[in-house]
Amino acid sequence: MKMSWSKRQKFAGYLFIAPNMLGIIIFFLIPALISFVVMFTDLDFLSKAPVNFIGLDNFARVFSDETFYTALKNTFIFLLAVPVSIAIAVFLAILLNNKIYLKPILRAMYFMPYITSSVAIAFVWSLLLQPTSGPINGFLRSVGLADPPRWLASTETSMYGIDLIMVWYTLGFNMIIYLAALQEIPTELLEAAKIDGARAWQTTLRIILPLISPTTFFLLITGLMGAIKTFGLIQAITQGGPGDSTVVLSLFVYRTAFSYYELGYASAIAWVLFVIVLVITAIQWVGQKKWVYSN
Amino acid sequence: MNQIAPGPAQTAASRATTTFLNYQQRRFISKLALTFILGFLAIIMILPFVWMISTSFKTGNEVFNYPIEWLPAHPVFDNHIKVWTEGFLTYYLNSLKISFLCMIGSCFWGALAAYGFSRIEFKGRDQLFFLYLAMLMIPPQILFVPRFIMFNWAGIYNTHWALILPGQFTIFGVFLLRQFFKGIPREISESAAIDGAGHLRIFSQIILPLAKPALVTFCILDFSWNWNNYEDALVFLVDRNLYTVPLGLTNFIGEHNVDYNGMMAAAVAAIIPMLIVFLVGQKFIIQGVANTGVKG
Repeated sequence: MKMSWSKRQKFAGYLFIAPNMLGIIIFFLIPALISFVVMFTDLDFLSKAPVNFIGLDNFARVFSDETFYTALKNTFIFLLAVPVSIAIAVFLAILLNNKIYLKPILRAMYFMPYITSSVAIAFVWSLLLQPTSGPINGFLRSVGLADPPRWLASTETSMYGIDLIMVWYTLGFNMIIYLAALQEIPTELLEAAKIDGARAWQTTLRIILPLISPTTFFLLITGLMGAIKTFGLIQAITQGGPGDSTVVLSLFVYRTAFSYYELGYASAIAWVLFVIVLVITAIQWVGQKKWVYSN
Repeated sequence: MNQIAPGPAQTAASRATTTFLNYQQRRFISKLALTFILGFLAIIMILPFVWMISTSFKTGNEVFNYPIEWLPAHPVFDNHIKVWTEGFLTYYLNSLKISFLCMIGSCFWGALAAYGFSRIEFKGRDQLFFLYLAMLMIPPQILFVPRFIMFNWAGIYNTHWALILPGQFTIFGVFLLRQFFKGIPREISESAAIDGAGHLRIFSQIILPLAKPALVTFCILDFSWNWNNYEDALVFLVDRNLYTVPLGLTNFIGEHNVDYNGMMAAAVAAIIPMLIVFLVGQKFIIQGVANTGVKG
């Protein structure tokens, strides 16, 4: 006997999602559960000693580890790149949304860094920012700056040097998303403002920015989440150096796990990182009511 | 509006033309000025690429000459030859294989799941989808250690499978494609269902062809992520003959760390395929990225 169409339909639903679901369970859900167990152990990949459950010892260690606080501070400096990139992107997008020549080409040029390999970018920038003879400091000297910053070579400026690279890297992506959001603004609204005698900056401040605030919120959330996970770019540029001046939390996890093979401790740090992600996201969800426009 | 005092001889019509022309001219000038400003900034954005390519054709002592010689006085190809004779061909083939297999898999399984989540109603569907979205929050840092343990146990650590197998499954892709499938009118598949078509036929013969732009976008994005994926390769690959392009690039630079021209030639080699893909599929990529933001 044949099943009715609607019954078959329900069954088909599970079949369609099954392969992907299975993969997600194996490669995301199960690892997350394993990690949740491992963080309570002293699992060390190099030592052959038996594994012990050590309760919350790993967390006690995290919060008394000096490197953790350095990494926390560096992470926050690194995250500065996100709002800066978003602010420049919104400015560029509003300009680019006007009638201009060569728009598709310009748009593509801004977007280009985003599709290139972060490792390749890392090496180009480490040469560009070379303090004594790199072209950027060469330029700064030629315009009269006698003592340009030492960028990635100094513990004081290295994190900001990485911010600079990160802004350059993510700018195009943010800009493209803003451009799409700007297209959705009804033109009548802008024309009405013009007829009422509003100046361009007034329209921008009072109409455009509030209307695209949901996009700003989206970019801020995804940007911060993405940045907090980034370690490949930093690993390729500075390997965390000089000293520990560019060790961010995600790089700290990577080092602990795969340079020192302290898997238990690394898992604990990773979950602390996860909690930080959650807290930042939660703060923004709460804060969004104040400034995100919704109809 | 321009305030032009009408002279006594001017008729209403000629006044209109003057203002009209002025308006046109002003628009033209402001359009040109804006283009110049934005063009200037765009050129600054791509200067690192230009410098990279230019440096890759220079010899050692010319690298840091200032003012910068954008066109090398005596272009040489040695740097590029060295890169290709020192393993980049292997890295390329590895990256191509891994990126291609991941792209095909995640696109196929992702499209199936997206169809299930968007066009079939079944119990628990929305809760399952919420679970998917929640898993997007998990930072990869949490997954590296357990995957390392699992892959060691399964014997696929230090093989390409460690990248290919997880790369078959995508959460983001399901999200993106589901969004697109939802936009296809219900009536189209309903009329096919009345004609007796099953879901597999509706999926393969109606939805997939209609969703081609979204599929192409996702495929390009997925390919580029896999091509540029440095972090997984760093954690899971050890043997040099298994290296992907980003890993091979760091390795090359570790071995030639004062040879700046060689470094830049290697960097050029690493980004050329993505540049080509970008130039060809630019429209799809930018459209796709734009869609994720606005509808997300």
